[in-house]
This record gives sequence, structure tokens and C-alpha cells, in this order.
Amino acid sequence: MALVRTEKLSKVYNPDTVPVHALRDVSITIEPGEFTSIVGPSGSGKTTLLNMIGGLDKPSSGKVFINGTDLTGMKDSKLIDFRLQNIGFVFQHYNLIPVFTARENVSFIMLLQKRDKKEMLRRADELLESVGLGDRKDARPKEMSGGQQQRVAVARALASEPKFILADEPTANLDSTAAMNLLDIMLRMNKEQNVTFVFSTHDQRVIDRARRVITMVDGAVDSDERRDGTNESGDSTGKGNSTGTGTSTGTGTGNGNGNAQKS
Amino acid sequence: MKTLITIAWRNIWRHPARSGVLIAAVVVGLWAGVVTVGTVNGLMQQRIDYLIDSEIAHAQIHHPEFLAEGYSWLNIPDHEEILNWLDEDARVTAWSARTMTDGMLQSPVKTSGVRIRGIDTDRETRTTDFHENMVEGEYLDSGIRNAVIVGKSLAQDHNLRIGNRIVLVFEDTGNELSSASFNIVGFFESASTEFDERNVFVRSEDFTRYLADELVVHEIAFRVAELEMVPAVVADVNATFSGIEAQTWREISPELNVLVELGGVMLYVITLIIMLALAFGILNTMLMALFERMREIGMLLSIGMSKLRVFSMILLESVILTLSGALTGFLLAWGSILYLTGSGINLERFAAGIAELGWDHIIFPIISPPEYVGILILVIVITLLASVYPALKAIRINPLEAAKDS
Repeated sequence: MALVRTEKLSKVYNPDTVPVHALRDVSITIEPGEFTSIVGPSGSGKTTLLNMIGGLDKPSSGKVFINGTDLTGMKDSKLIDFRLQNIGFVFQHYNLIPVFTARENVSFIMLLQKRDKKEMLRRADELLESVGLGDRKDARPKEMSGGQQQRVAVARALASEPKFILADEPTANLDSTAAMNLLDIMLRMNKEQNVTFVFSTHDQRVIDRARRVITMVDGAVDSDERRDGTNESGDSTGKGNSTGTGTSTGTGTGNGNGNAQKS
Repeated sequence: MKTLITIAWRNIWRHPARSGVLIAAVVVGLWAGVVTVGTVNGLMQQRIDYLIDSEIAHAQIHHPEFLAEGYSWLNIPDHEEILNWLDEDARVTAWSARTMTDGMLQSPVKTSGVRIRGIDTDRETRTTDFHENMVEGEYLDSGIRNAVIVGKSLAQDHNLRIGNRIVLVFEDTGNELSSASFNIVGFFESASTEFDERNVFVRSEDFTRYLADELVVHEIAFRVAELEMVPAVVADVNATFSGIEAQTWREISPELNVLVELGGVMLYVITLIIMLALAFGILNTMLMALFERMREIGMLLSIGMSKLRVFSMILLESVILTLSGALTGFLLAWGSILYLTGSGINLERFAAGIAELGWDHIIFPIISPPEYVGILILVIVITLLASVYPALKAIRINPLEAAKDS
């Protein structure tokens, strides 16, 4: 079963006044263990797509399935809990709780999951170690650099043991060293722990290292390229106004065996 | 819950200056409110105590029409029987029989309308402490014949001195105009200037000689052992005797009744006014905090914090913020009242004006533990009400705020 599947996902803002088509019939599939970047120019719909997958926004039409569960008809309160148990988020602006230390920020989500306190702290420390912040556990966000904050955000996203992590422009506010550092960490976690990452980005250095790149143009999937050694490039068969029938047929082994299509 | 309290507490101190100002406002507001309530309570209680101790006693008995008409022939029939009954009732601790009527005081300077009160000094001293109001000269227990004591302000008005003689004119029980001269032996000064200007005191035995053929009594004031016993004793008197009317101190003095009623309400009125003003401060602070944290709250909702938790977090912030100030305010107020209970608030500068109103110029604030609790509950309720709107706004924040650029 695909980890993430969207079916003819569309989003129209201001449908009654000046309609803005943010997404047009987007159908994609993401398998467990993928390291996927969604790229495209500003306004291409990549953030909107990410929000739909993350259950943060509702589509105008179409469906989103996470592990076979349809998010589109889900009530807000259920969606909040679904996100807590299944999805990790990394935001462009880090969005850490400023009054909490790094350790508390990472623990907080586990607290919401009502985990055992000792286990929670142990895992928080472990995660901070794994993102290279073992010595900054008690630092508050304002005492850390942007790169460090974003690494805490990644640790926080991982803390809840989500099915996958959504990251919206995670390197946008970082200098190149910090960006590469973060990317290394994300790639390592993807490889070593089979953590699925789906992120939007403008950053060419990030795009270059992604193993699957879905390119959005005008709210539609323009291309879906897999770069793993075993992957092959697909053909582009459509543009933004396509019917969006393109699907990723990767086998989901974690290193992305599968073909790529353009739709 | 512990985490919510921690996060709420730390959020409060995110902007120490802003939170500090609000807490200071709550401290000052609550301190002022509690001290004001205490002062008003004290003022009212002193007035009640004063009127009971100095004049009214706990209950009074009159001819049913005397209080409205004031004629000397409207005296209490068979007063001896009533006095005997009072003597025998264990609940009654003291009584004073008064002979009184309205009349005129004539001095070389002018004439004034006064109520002439004839008293048995021994009985009166056991029933009221009016004698403590003497400021000059002697009380009526001196041996001087036809002694009279007058209010200090009335004396000044008539340019009277101790030893001067005045003429009292009144209607006797036979409806005939009668007059007699009395010797001024002393001046009194009660808390009420109005009372001082309208009342003179003589001995019953002196007064009766001019008023009637035998001792007549127009008013019997009595005290009971416990304030709570008053209604029962009064009911018993009314049930036992006819042709008279016994009334409790609250029935006799509408002013006292209003004071007692007001006393209960004032506490909440004053606190409510102060807290309503503070509620806008709380609302403003919480809304500002909310607008600054749209992205953060969006993030909390994104990662899976339930709306109930977000709602509770905002409410907790308001309550902790206000309670920090309120408890400090209470502590200060408690200290202030403790201090003022000993020394009193001395309004001597305004003594004349205050006396016109019948109030004492040294006020001893009073506030009881249940009143503190009442104020605290009111503070919490108003704080919660003031924070419901920001909390509702918080849970309506779109999680997408977390992803916004600014």
C-alpha cells in the first residue's frame, strides 16, 4: 500500500470571485522510504500540495490517502490527532516554541502523544545527539543559530515516530553550510532509518541530492523524476493543464525502485 | 496539565515588561479594591455600631403612632408591666425608658426646633454609651436641678455656654403648651452634626414634672445578649403586649437597614467595576500575545496539539497572569488592612464634612475571609470571561499560519 496517494487533487482559491487554481488534478504516489523533493517556481502549487498531504488544508476536489486512510472527509479534531500520530512537520521558519529548550521542544510532541516521561526524555536526547546537538539540549531557540534550530525541528518531527516527514522549504532560511548539514542529516536518517521525507524546495543544492524530484508548474505535476541508480527517467507527457493521470509506480523499497513519469 | 501550566507561565514572561505592567495594574487594582471595600465595610459597620450603641440600642418600643406623630400624649400604656417583663427575660441585658417630645429651644439669640429627650441616666448608661459623647461640662448625673445637655454645634449656633439657661417649650400630655427653663451643664458631640443640632437631653424626672402628672414613657430602648436574638424578642414583646409596637434596630432606622443591605452588595460592585476595567487590559494583552504568536499556534495545531489544549493554554495564561497580580494585591491589601485596623484611616481634615453626614472621621477597615474568597472568585470568573474571546480566536487559527512567511 502506498504511503501517500493523491487522486486528482485540485484546489481553487476564491472560486466565486477571482478563481486561483493552486492545484489541478494532481495524482501522485509516495512509497515508504522515499526521499522526495517537490520543486517548482513560486506559485506552482508545491506548498499547497504539501499542505494537502499533511492534512493542513482541504482540497476543492480529489482525495488524499495516507496509508490507505482518506483524509479529505476527516473532521478537524480527528485530523489533528491523525497528524500527531502519523506526520512529522518541518517548517521553513523552524517554528520552535521559543520558551522551551531544545530538549523540551523535541519532547513536547511526545508529551502530546502521552508517552512515558523517561522514555520521552531518553528519545529526545537521542534524537538531539543524532542531529548533532547533544551539547545544546538546554539551549532555547534564541540561543541557537538558524541551522541548529532547524535541526531541532527535524528532531522534533522525528520524535513522534511519524509515517513520514513533510518539510516545507527546510533550507530556505539557512546558509549553504547549514543547509548541507541539514540535508546530510535528513539523507542519513532516510538511509539508516528508512525515514520517508517529502519536502518542497527551491534550493538547487537540495534538488541535486534528492532521489526523487516532482516538478510542479501552474498547479500540475510537470515531471516526476527518480534519480536512484536503479531508477530510470520517465517521459514528460503533459503540462500543467494535463488531466493529472501521472502516477509514481515506485515499488517503495526505500531506495526508490521504480520509474518516473511526467504528467 | 503540568506542561500547559509550564508553557503558559513561560509565555507570560516572554514579554516581561508587558506582563509586568498588567500584573502591576492587577496588583494596584485589587489592592485599591480590597482596601476600598474594607473601608466602606468599616464605615458602615462603625455607623451601625455607633447608632446601636449610642442611640437606638437593639430594639425599641413605642406607642404605635408616636414615631410618626411625636405628640407627648402618645405614650406607652402600662410601661411598668413591659419593663418588668424585660427585667424577667434572660435574653434582655439592659433597657432604658425615655420620656420625650418635640419642642422648641429658646435662647437669647434664637429659637430652634429640637427633640427633648428625658432619660434615666443610670439606665441610659447601661443601655447606650451616649454619655461618652460628652465633650465639655458634666453629664446629667450632676446634682444641678433642671439640668440639660445640648449638642456642641447647637450651642455654638445659639452662642451658649455652660451655666447658661435656656427655655424649652413643648406640649404637655394634656395638649397644653408648657415651658420650663433648664440649666446647661454640658455639651455633647456625637458623630452626626444633624443629631447634635436637633436633640437636647434632660433627666426624665425633671421633664415629667412639666409634661404630665405622673411619669410617662414614650420610648423603651433595650439590648439583648446576641444580635441574632433581636427579632425573636421583638416578636415576643409584640405578642405579649397590646397598644404598643416593638421594632428591631433595622426597622427603626431605615438608614441602618440600607447600610446593611448595601454592605453586602458594595463588595461586589466595587470589585466588579475594578475588574471590568482590568478585564479590558487582560483582553488587550492576550490579543496582542495571540497576534504575535499566530505562526506558533498554527504550528502547535499542525503538529497535533488539540484545540482544547490550545484553548486551555490561553485561558491558563490569562488566569496565571491575573492571579499572580491578584494574590500579590490581596497580600498587600491584607497587610494594609491589618495595619489600618490598628491605626484607622484618619480623615480628620474632612471631619466636619464627614460629621455632617453622621460618620466617624476615623475609619477602621474590616474585611472578612469569606469576602476575600468572594473577591477572588469574582476575579477568576471575570478573567476567564475576558480570556474566552482570545482563546476562541486561538483555536480558530488556521494551521497553515505555521507555513506563512511573516
